[in-house]
Order: sequence, then structure tokens, then C-alpha cells
Amino acid sequence: MKNEKTWDWQILKKEIPINEWQERFNWIEEPCVSPDGEKIASIVNTDDAEFSVCVNGETWEETYEKAWSMRFAPDGKLVALVSNDEEWTISVNGSSWETMFDYIWDLKITSKGSFIGAAVQKDGEYGMVVNDTIWDNLYANISGVVLSEQGTSAAIVQVTPMGQGDIEGFSAGIFSAAVNGINQPEKFMNIWDISFDSQGKQVAYSIRKNRTDYSLMNNNDLWDKNFQFVWQPQFIEKDSSLVAPVRLAGKWTLFKDGNPFWKKNYNQLWKVTVHNDSGKIAAIVSDAFGKWTVSENDKIWNFHCDTMISDLFYSDNGDSLVAVFKNKGYWDVAVNGKPWNIKADKLWSPIISPDNTILAARMEKNGKYQLIVNGKVYKEHFDMIFEPKISPESDKILLKALKNGVYSRQILTLDNIL
Amino acid sequence: MQDTINKDPETIAREIVDEGIEKGLARLTPEKISKVINQVLTKETGARFKVYVETCMRCGLCSDACSVFLSNDRKPQYSPAAKVKQTILEMISKKGNVSKQFLKDAVRISHTECNVCKRCAMYCPFGIDIAYMMLTVRRVCHKLEITPLYIQDTVNSHSATMNQMWVKEDEWIDTLQWQEEDAREEFENLRIPLDKDGADIMYSVIAPEPKFQAGLIYQTAVIMHAAGQNWTMPSTPGWDNSNMAMYTGDYEISGRIAQVHYDTAARLHVKKIVMGECGHAFRSVYDIGNRWVGWVMPPFELIHSIDFFHDLLVSGRIKVKEKYKKTVTLHDPCNISRGGGLHHKAREMVNILCESFIEMTPNKEHNYCCGAGGGVINCGPPWKGTRMTNNREKGEQLKRTGAEVLIAPCHNCHSGLEDIVHHYDLGMEVKFFGDIIYEVMEKTIFQKGDL
Repeated sequence: MKNEKTWDWQILKKEIPINEWQERFNWIEEPCVSPDGEKIASIVNTDDAEFSVCVNGETWEETYEKAWSMRFAPDGKLVALVSNDEEWTISVNGSSWETMFDYIWDLKITSKGSFIGAAVQKDGEYGMVVNDTIWDNLYANISGVVLSEQGTSAAIVQVTPMGQGDIEGFSAGIFSAAVNGINQPEKFMNIWDISFDSQGKQVAYSIRKNRTDYSLMNNNDLWDKNFQFVWQPQFIEKDSSLVAPVRLAGKWTLFKDGNPFWKKNYNQLWKVTVHNDSGKIAAIVSDAFGKWTVSENDKIWNFHCDTMISDLFYSDNGDSLVAVFKNKGYWDVAVNGKPWNIKADKLWSPIISPDNTILAARMEKNGKYQLIVNGKVYKEHFDMIFEPKISPESDKILLKALKNGVYSRQILTLDNIL
Repeated sequence: MQDTINKDPETIAREIVDEGIEKGLARLTPEKISKVINQVLTKETGARFKVYVETCMRCGLCSDACSVFLSNDRKPQYSPAAKVKQTILEMISKKGNVSKQFLKDAVRISHTECNVCKRCAMYCPFGIDIAYMMLTVRRVCHKLEITPLYIQDTVNSHSATMNQMWVKEDEWIDTLQWQEEDAREEFENLRIPLDKDGADIMYSVIAPEPKFQAGLIYQTAVIMHAAGQNWTMPSTPGWDNSNMAMYTGDYEISGRIAQVHYDTAARLHVKKIVMGECGHAFRSVYDIGNRWVGWVMPPFELIHSIDFFHDLLVSGRIKVKEKYKKTVTLHDPCNISRGGGLHHKAREMVNILCESFIEMTPNKEHNYCCGAGGGVINCGPPWKGTRMTNNREKGEQLKRTGAEVLIAPCHNCHSGLEDIVHHYDLGMEVKFFGDIIYEVMEKTIFQKGDL
């Protein structure tokens, strides 16, 4: 999606009526919008048990008995999971892949749209498909599928059969992590939370050795310590290390390569996020029961909320650390510890401009959808807003919204809003 | 109501062979036993535990609160206070140096003779929560790996799949799509919207629904559609709100289950979670699982189906075409009545839906447990016979109503009450509220002007 400069940032408003689709089809499903805002699409019911996809009023030639999980890839391709004659595959822009499956789910698309993958089941065996190529090895079960930016696929797979109620067999370990369809030799009682490094070459994950001991796997190396519990690990590119939240003596802290890293203990610590260039590390933490905040390099923000922090991430340059949180029943955003105070009923993660000066998000408040930029609410409200975009020059906002059955693509200057 | 078993029930129970317990016990050493017990009692308990242990004066007022005690002819060993004395207090007084036979008895008492229903806590003059004490025993059993086999298998399923019945990821979605397709026979444009980002409601269920009772999902989809709700169901793990790990003392897996459930709601940007008719799942996501990870209260508004259906009926979003004719009685599930205060709304619903309602006695927050709750039914077939013996009082309570239909808005209750109805030959049908609503509702789609 690095062709944003070629998008139309000049025409202030384009509209596509979709209310007439209601008349043309038996029903239409919730629409999705292309990243550049030029296309709006819905799965539509065209006949008894017959579905297709309508894009800007044009219907795909292909029809399906079932279709779901449709979305635009970042490069503008429209992707859906589709079925005919009880076989499933992926359709891209209305052309189905050649490989067919007995079932397909958990669609994954990389951030540039180069790789499309999913979990699949064929003849009762499980694996992954990436760009129309299925794994060579299939397994008795699969969960937790992930896809790296480079197209490396991985999942937790069941490598040993287990009879009904066989708790001894389960304890002996029946799961492995498989990468590109090749399972690692180590088997564990449980595996969760596979993470890739940014090159898609290394994998790490949480494991459970027995009913009470948990640890971490870094590629084929098992950390030599046992913990009361663990959450998802993350790689740090700068020093090729691995960090993970671990629970010891009833408290949580961050370990690095199997050794204590952060000094503080927390009531909870999870969702570690790393800024690779700067090496900054942050995590969602609870430092007192029912009080949530963010710890960056083991130093907590001067900010707390009482309900939840759902998302935490860095801007590209690492200067902004953004948290989506809920306090006293309302959703909000905090940037470097400073809350916006918008009190939304629903709130989606903000996007950040290339120069790190603009944050834009969408929210629902009192039944109306609105755009928020740097904490300021844009006056116009809608029936639905899709993810906004910020221009490459960081001076305009692409607002994609639906109102009274009409989809509109609007270009807003910052003066309009701030 | 003749119990045909002539042997002393305690003797029968002590003779039961549960492979999960037996194999676990065989591996234990005296050192491991004392180490684990002392670790749990000293490192995982605090002032609450100490106060309970030091305050109980064995007055026995808890005894008559326990339906297991009443079902066993008021034999003293079934008294809640006695269950504590036979388990935790022995562990304390012997500093963890207890025998394998003691542990075998402790598993049986804590896992199969106590429903952790908390009825006794209401009758204790000091409010001692004996369920908490029994769950502490179960925590010891978990760490010693002597948990009964069937419920351990259920927890294994939770840990691997995030649902309690080994439902595979594709089976879950396929079931929803199958129910959606079937329901279109009634409403041609009905949907079970999967992963609808920004829906108002995420609807979550427990795994027996896709596994055995998919019709319940069908019924709810019809109710949601007719009521014009903006709802969704997740296609990913996190759809199952049940949690047997909290009943085996596997609090780590219990916490992960709650984390995944609420993380799924956050990913879908919903306003609230509506959960199906289940009691223990309510306890899990409202009280136990959420608090283990650090959420004092659920991070999303959490609405049990009773609350949700009540609102639809009272607001007129669902209209009753013709009231249900058969005489009904209502079982108040412990976790949503004593634990959630929903018994008044449940009665209002019965009166809206049904022509003839007969109260069972005792009722509301004083109701007896179904006998299946607290993970007892999940200990499986080896323990079914003793469970039926321990449920005699419940059977008599049901029989006194003379009702044709028993409404039980909880899955565990439902299964346990079916067993009681069959075992004691009560001739009652057991139904969910969803069954009744689906049967009597007008199958029209709500329009805003209808209010």
C-alpha cells in the first residue's frame, strides 16, 4: 500500500449510492471499503442459496453457495472465502484459487497484500494455504495460524493422535509448532502465541510442560526456567533477543532470553510491543488490582484506567506510544500517557501520519459514528465510518463513511477538523 | 422415590475407580504431597482463608443448607463444615503430611460431594464461604495431578482449543453456517453474522451448543433476527464462555480462557457481550476468570440471556403470539440467582411466556443446586450413581411441584436435571427459556415503529 501518492487527494467528495442495492438483491451484507476509498463492496444474496459480490454496483460473474470473511487487501485486492459444491477456496477479485478444500478459515493478509493465507481442512486433515499453495504435510488439528510479512506460515499442530479422554497421552505432549508445514521435533502439552521476528525467519511461542510449569521456546531452544504462567513472546531485532511476560511467585515481570530483564513486578503484564529501531519495549500492565497502565522500558505512565487497555503500539518513528483504553465504561486513546478524553462507546485503533504529527481514529458515540483527529471530533456524523487514511504529506485525511444509504469518499484538510 | 441402592452411599463412593485420580496418586511421593499442600496453603491463600479457618465453630448451621447432606439422611460427614474438617483442616493440622487414601477422599469430597453452590454460605452466621475452601482443596488436587479424569479432559480441551468439548475451529464455523442455512427456512434473510466488526452485541455460548445442541443457536439466531439486533458471533476461539478450569483449580488456564473471551470482544469492537443460558459460565466471566487476570469487573458489559430475553420481551421487541400452555416450574441456577440476582426477571419472563407457573420450594436465591453444578457432572460416568444419590432432595423438590415442564436457564443444570428427572422417574420435560420463547413468539421482524 505504498502507492498512496497516486491516490486521488484532490477531489473533495465522491459518492456511491448503495441503498439501491437493497432493491437489486435479496439482501446485502455489511460492506467493506478499499484502502484508497474508491470501492465499496458487499457480499450479496442473488438467489436461493446463491451469493455473489457487488463492487461499486457491479456484480462479480462468479456466484457461490456461501461466501464470508470478505475484505480488501492493503493493495486493493478484494478477498473472500467462498464455497461451491461443498468445496471451499479463496476468491481474489472474483477469481477463485485452483486449490479446493473441505473448509477454509482464519484469513490472513500481509500488510502489503503480497501474501494471502488461511487455515484449511482437507479430508479431515489440517494445514495452511498461502497464495494457493497448501502445506506438504497436514495434521490432525490446527490452531493459532500466523503469517509473516515474508509469507512464512506457522501454526500449532497436533502431531500425535489422542483417544477420547486420554489425559495421560495429553500430558505426554501431542502438539508441535509447524513452520511452512514442517513441524518442529519438540512436542508439548500446550502451545500458544506464535511470534515471528520481523524477517519471518525465527519463531517463538509459549509452551506448557505439564499441568503447572510453563516456559518459552525460541526456535528450537527451550528456556531453562519454569514459570507459573507466560504470555506471548516478542523478538527484539536490535540484539537478536527474545522477551516474554512471565509469572513468578504470583507476580508478573518481563524476562529476556530466559533471564530477568525488567526489575519491577506487576499484577499483570501482557501484549508486549517493541520498536525495533530504537529498541524501546512497552507492555500493558496492571500495577494494582483493577488499575491498568502502560510500562515503557519498565517505567509506568502517570496514567491509569479502571477497565481495560485493548491495544498498544508505537508510531513508525517510535516517538509515539499509543494505547486504546476503557475507563469508567468509555473508550479513549492515550498518546505517551496523555488521554484524549473523548469518551466513546466504540473506538477503533488510531492511524498515525508519516510525520507522526496526526493521529486519526473512528468512534461511535451515542449511536453516531464520527472521526477524531488528534483528539478533536469532526463535526459531521455518519451511520458508519471505515478506517480513515492520512495523506503521504500528512496534510489531508481520507474519510470513508456511509450515511443514509450513500457511501462517501471525502478529502478533509486539517483545517476542516482541527 | 425409592433409592434402590442398598449399600452405604459413602462406601459406594469410596469404591469408585477414577483413572485420573488413581494414576495421579500412584505417582505421588510423601515429599511431593506435603510440598504442594504447604505451598498452596501458605503461598496462595491469605487473610480470607485464615479468617474462615479460625472462625468456624462447627455450629452446624450450614448442614441443612446442603442438599447433599439432606439427600444422605443428614449423615454428619456430608455437612459442609464436616467436608472442611475432612479435607482442609486435616491438611493444616498434619502440615501437609497426609496419606494417599486421605487425598483420594479429599478429591471425592471436594469434586463430587460439593457443588460449590454457596448455599451454605448464606446460612453460616459468619458468612464463611465453604465453596472457596472446597475450591482450595481442588487447587491442591490440580497441583498434585489427581483431578478426576473426565473433568480433567474437559480442562485439557479448554487449554488446547479454548472450548470445553474439543470442537475444532472449522467445526465451530461450519455449525454456525449450517444453523444459519436451516434458519432461513423461517426467515429467508436471516444471518448469523460472523466477525461483524462494530456490532453492538457479541453473542457467546458454551461448547455443548455446537457439539450437541446446535438447535439452541438456531433459536437464538431467530430471536436476534426477529428482535432486529445488531449482533455477531466470533469465528475464532473466544466464542466459548464456559470454564471448567476454574472448578479444577487450574486458575492459569481459567485466566487464559477469560482473557481470550474478552480480547475477542475487543477485537470485534462490540459494546456488550450477551451470553447463552449458562450459569457456571456467568460465574467464570463475571467473577472468577476475569479477576484472576486483573479485571475487577468484566471489561465489557456482560448480559446473561435471562436479562437479555427479559429486555426483549418487556420492550416489545419480541411479542408473544400465544402463551405456553403446559404448567411450568422454574429452577433458579445458583450462579445467576445467588450469584447474579436474576431470579426476579426470570419470574417476570415466566409470567409473560406461560399460562401456568408453579413455584418450587425453596426458590430464588434459596433454591437447591441442580446437583450437577460446580463441575460435579463433569466428573463423568464413574460418579453418576453417587450424584443421583446426592440429588435425592432435589428430585423430591421437583416432584412436589407437579409441573409438566421444568425451565432451567443453565446448561449444567439442564443436563443434571435431565438425569434427575430420568433417575427419579419424574416425567417432566426440561427446557431453556430460549425453547419456550422460540415456541410462543411471533415470527415477525421487529420494526422501530412497533414500540
